[in-house]
Amino acid sequence: MARARTNLIRAILLLGLASIFFITLDLSGSGATSRVRQVFYTVFAPVEGVARVVTRPLGNAWHAFRNYEDVVTENDRLREQLALQEGSTVAAAASVRLSQELLALNGLPTLAGINSVTAQVIGETPTNFSQTVEINQGSDSGIKVGMPVLNAAGLIGKVTEVFSNRSLVMLISDPDYALSIKVVTTSNRTPVTLPPLASEDAPTVDSVVRTDQTSSTSSTSTTTTTILGFTPVATTLPAEVAAGAASNITVPVASQLAVRETGILEGRGPGRRPIVRFLDASTRASAIEVGAPIVSAGGSRSLAPPDIVIGVVSRVVERLGTAGPILEVELVADLTSLSFLRVLLYQPITEAAR
Amino acid sequence: MLDRLLRVVASRWFRLVLVGLFVTSLQTTLFSEVRPFGFAVQVVAIFAASAGCSHDVQTGAVVGLISGLMYDAVLATPLGISALVFAGVGAAGSLVMQPFRDPTWWMKVLGASGVAAFGEVLMPIVKGVVGLGGWLQLRVIGAMSVTFLGGVILSVPLIPLTRWTLRERVGRDV
Repeated sequence: MARARTNLIRAILLLGLASIFFITLDLSGSGATSRVRQVFYTVFAPVEGVARVVTRPLGNAWHAFRNYEDVVTENDRLREQLALQEGSTVAAAASVRLSQELLALNGLPTLAGINSVTAQVIGETPTNFSQTVEINQGSDSGIKVGMPVLNAAGLIGKVTEVFSNRSLVMLISDPDYALSIKVVTTSNRTPVTLPPLASEDAPTVDSVVRTDQTSSTSSTSTTTTTILGFTPVATTLPAEVAAGAASNITVPVASQLAVRETGILEGRGPGRRPIVRFLDASTRASAIEVGAPIVSAGGSRSLAPPDIVIGVVSRVVERLGTAGPILEVELVADLTSLSFLRVLLYQPITEAAR
Repeated sequence: MLDRLLRVVASRWFRLVLVGLFVTSLQTTLFSEVRPFGFAVQVVAIFAASAGCSHDVQTGAVVGLISGLMYDAVLATPLGISALVFAGVGAAGSLVMQPFRDPTWWMKVLGASGVAAFGEVLMPIVKGVVGLGGWLQLRVIGAMSVTFLGGVILSVPLIPLTRWTLRERVGRDV
C-alpha cells in the first residue's frame, strides 16, 4: 500500500512537471508540442469519429428543441435581406472588380492574387475559455499555421493548429488574437472646384517630364521605388493639368481625402465586441466616426494581407490625458453561426517558423 | 515480454486512457454542440472530480493530469494547462470528501459537481498566470453554473465509471 502511494506521488510529480514543461515549450513556439498533438490526434480521430456519428442525433435533437423558433424567424429575415441586397451585390461586385484592376495596374497586392481553400466548420470549441472552431481542411490542402480565415462577410480569425485533414481556427474575438488594422474615415466636406487658371499661373511640376514639347497632349513621369512587388509604371497626366489649360478642375484638398488611422484590434471574448487601440496616441476621437469601416492594415509583419474587411466602428470611447481613444468594433462576420470559410493561403512572416 | 504487455493492457491506467479517450470524445462532439445558455458542460472536469470524490487525493490528481493532457491535445490552448487545472480538480474532489467518513452517493455527486465548477474558475486564473489573460470575466459565473448543473446529472454515471476504471486488483496494478 505504501509502495503504491509512493508510486502515485512520483506519477503526480512526473505528470505535473511534464505539464509545466509542455506549457513552456508550447508558449515558446516549439514545434514539438504540435507533433505530440498530431500523434495524439492519430489515436483520437477514430474514437472522435465514432462519437460524432453516435451523438449527432442527440445534438440535432438539442438544436431542434432550442433553436427551431429562432431559425424560422431568422430564415424570414434573411429572405427579406437577400431580396434587398441582390441589386446592390451586382454594383458592389463591379466596384470590387474595378478596384482590383486598378490595384493590379499599379502593381499593388490584392486579395484576388492570393489562392484560397474553402473549408467547412465541423466543430466548435469544447471549452468555455477559448474561441476556436474546427474546420475540415488541413495541411493536405496547403493550410499552415497563421493563415487568415474569412467567411463571405469578412475576416473571422487565423489558423492556430494544423493537422493533416483538419485545422483549428482562432476567432477574432479570442482575447489572444491581435491584428494590425486601419480605420478608414471619410470627410463630409464638399470638394473645391477651382476656376480655370491662366497659362502663366499654371503650376509647374518638376517631376513631370514633357515627352513632346511641341505637339504632345500628355506628360509622363517615371518613378523608382524600393517597395517589394511594386513595379513602377509610367503615369500619364492630362495635358490640361500639366499646362494649366482653361478648364474647371475639381481638386480634393488633403483634408478631404480618406484618413487612415492605424491601430491594433484585440478580441475580448465571446459576447463582447473587439476593441481597437491606436498606435498613435495623438489620434483624436473626433477624427473617427461611428460606422467607419475597419480593414486589415497589411504589411510585412501583419497576420493578414491588406484591406480585408473586418467591421465598422460601433462606439468611440474617449480617454483622459494623452491616451488615445478606444474603438469598439462591430464585426461584419457573425461568429456565432459559421458554416463555410475561406482560408487564404498567405502565411505571415511572423508565423512562418511554425 | 507478452506477459508484461498483457499486464500493462489489463492495468487500471490503461483502462483510464481508454475511458479518457471516450470522455474526451464526448466533450469534443456532443458537449461542444449542446451548450445550455451558451456554455459548454465540462465533462472532462466532472470526470476528474468524480475520480477524486471516489478515490484518494493522489489518484484524483493522476486522473486529472492524464485526462487533462488528453484534453489539451485536442485544444488550441498550450499543452499542459488543462492537465494542471484538472489535477487540482481531481485532488480537490478527494479533499472535499475527506471530512465525511462514509459519504452517501448524493454527497459525492454534489461534491464532484461543485469541484468541477471550481475548475471553471481555476482555468482562467491558470491561463492568466501563463500570459493568456482576458478570460476572468463575469461570464465565468455562467460557466460555473452550467458545469455544476451538468455535473449533478453527469456525475451520477461518471462516479461508477471512474470506480470501474480505477478498480485495483491486488498484486497486479500499481
